[in-house]
Amino acid sequence: MDYAHAHPLIHIEDFRMQFGEKTVIDGLSFDVAPGETFGFLGSNGSGKTTTIRALLGIYRPTSGTLHINGKVFSDDYGARLGYLPEERGLYKKESVLDVMTYFGRLKGLSRQESQQFSRDYLDRVDLADKAEVRVDKLSGGQQQKIQLGVTIMNDPELLILDEPTKGFDPVNRRLLMDIIEDRKKAGATVMMVTHQMEEVERLCDRIVLLKDGRSEAYGTIDEVQNQFGGRTVRLKHSGTVPDSPDYTVTLRETNYSELALDDSVDEAEVLRRLVQAGVVVRGFVAAKRSLDDIFLQVYGEKAAVETGAK
Amino acid sequence: MARHNLGTVVHFEFTRTVKKRRFWIATLAIPILLAIVFGLVFASNSSTKSQADAQKHDKISFTYTDSSALVDPALAKAMGGTVEADPGTAVERVKAGTLNAYFSYPASPAKETVNVYGADQGIFKNGTYDAVAKQLLVLSAQEKVGSAELAAAVQGNFRSDTQTYKDGQLSGGLETVVPPLLFLVLFYVVIILLANQMLASTLEEKENRVTEMILTTLNPTTLVVGKVISLFLVGAVQALVFATPMVAGYVFFRDQMSMPDFDLSHLQFQFWPMLVGALLFVGGFILFTGVLVSIGAVMPTAKDASTVFAPVMIMMFIPFYIVTMVVSDPGNLIVQIFTFFPFTAPITAMLRNGFGSLGGPAAAVVIVELFVFGFAALRLAVHLFRYGSIEYSRKLSLRTAFARKG
Repeated sequence: MDYAHAHPLIHIEDFRMQFGEKTVIDGLSFDVAPGETFGFLGSNGSGKTTTIRALLGIYRPTSGTLHINGKVFSDDYGARLGYLPEERGLYKKESVLDVMTYFGRLKGLSRQESQQFSRDYLDRVDLADKAEVRVDKLSGGQQQKIQLGVTIMNDPELLILDEPTKGFDPVNRRLLMDIIEDRKKAGATVMMVTHQMEEVERLCDRIVLLKDGRSEAYGTIDEVQNQFGGRTVRLKHSGTVPDSPDYTVTLRETNYSELALDDSVDEAEVLRRLVQAGVVVRGFVAAKRSLDDIFLQVYGEKAAVETGAK
Repeated sequence: MARHNLGTVVHFEFTRTVKKRRFWIATLAIPILLAIVFGLVFASNSSTKSQADAQKHDKISFTYTDSSALVDPALAKAMGGTVEADPGTAVERVKAGTLNAYFSYPASPAKETVNVYGADQGIFKNGTYDAVAKQLLVLSAQEKVGSAELAAAVQGNFRSDTQTYKDGQLSGGLETVVPPLLFLVLFYVVIILLANQMLASTLEEKENRVTEMILTTLNPTTLVVGKVISLFLVGAVQALVFATPMVAGYVFFRDQMSMPDFDLSHLQFQFWPMLVGALLFVGGFILFTGVLVSIGAVMPTAKDASTVFAPVMIMMFIPFYIVTMVVSDPGNLIVQIFTFFPFTAPITAMLRNGFGSLGGPAAAVVIVELFVFGFAALRLAVHLFRYGSIEYSRKLSLRTAFARKG
């Protein structure tokens, strides 16, 4: 175990959360190492937002340990945190500059630093002329940009993003990705809740899959793919692919199929048996299973549709 | 960090309120209205006073008969009067318009009526007859007394200064009652002006969905205390704006507006009643602020909060309905209940403190009670804000809020 993983920035151990009689989180444990980008995945209602709120002291856990930097979260750490909650909003009746300055001051910046950052940021996102405009006079997309600016205005060492792309238009989604990349380059730790598996595969070093308040899978993306029968074959062919104990056909189209391989069989053996069965193989690509497949397997098709995973 | 953030919250909350045009329209509306009323009173009084003065010194022609023998003929002549030669027809001649006015002084003006008859000169000028008839009798009587001092004494035109003692100490007259009651006035004004803002102060974070961002950068206690301080400052600005025209009116236009001429130098600011009044004010303010902020934290919208707000305000001001009993019979059971029940205690105890019927032990109990309940209410407000505001569009169940284990 390297130093980073021996000294995690976020440490959650045996976390339980009950609301009345209902158990929402049941014995969840995972760590997030400093500098890594961590994906926190799960279907709607699986307990992701509850975990983040408990981690940030908004909810008090029923039991377990939730530490940031070795301590229970307190508002003192707020100066080093950038948090984009699932429920978003800003003070609507104030000017953009006043709102940004206020949050900058709360995050420990001086008035001058807050205003300087705000003006630079507004310039970067083409809203320089809106500094003195009331927030509720801005469009939804413009308000999202302000929200992102408030999230990162203290150059946070830890960025927690709860469904960051939810409701974002493509322009702001791109802006968010740029911000995450920037923060990663600056050495920040990023923990993100998302249903966008492409983003997870592209950005995240490690993930945890939460289902019904329990960890279903946890580790690097490779480790999770391996855990769920990691190998898959994408096959272009003529003829019908027969069923076999060596694999499961996860996608069957006229001239294209995807097979999830059994652990005991290698790709060459599968290819040989397909040819023996009379299938004309025109393309054969061995790959690991996508996170989308794994998400579908863990949560089922219905949950995947509800969460918008793709 | 907490102190820095407290200053930041107070600055943000205060400036955002006083920067709003709506705030100044609402705040200035009352003084402007007062200024208009004062102006009208000033104009009306100037006109009435000058008219009364003019009438008193009006020289009119009249005749008179004097059974009392008090009227000085020389004075009467100087004021335009002559002795009526034919009293039997005088009234008829006035009716016919051949005589301007006739005054009939009875044998005993103190017991009988002085009859005044005159030709109509319009509703305002008709008062001249009565004014001249009275003035003639008063001046004649003063002349008979022969001393301005005696005349003033007879009329009761002198000032007196009463001092009473209790346990060897100067005890209360009105001059000792008024200063502690100023805290009652202040309390009333502050709550009336700020109650709605107290109620809405924590609703805003919820309605704007900024609770989570706030709770992760700021201690909720700091936020609530910062909001309370800024509300207090806003109230002070409003009170100052409201008081300015009244003070200016009293200082510069007191006579013109017929305002009573209080000798403020006689007000006695006694230490203990003032201290008790101040503590009752602060304790009451904390209690009601805590309760109103708690209501705001539980309710999802201002509209929902207002339904709970009304009973609290009624409880607060209900002691005014038994104010006579509070003053005259402070030992009455109802007054005792109102004195110690937290929501009615501030007003009742401040009234009793002003009128000197709130004993030391009772004052101590009420003050301690208000502070204890006040801080408990603020603590509750912080707790409910922490857990209530995250519920956003739902009303917080108190059972749920207190079921969350730490």
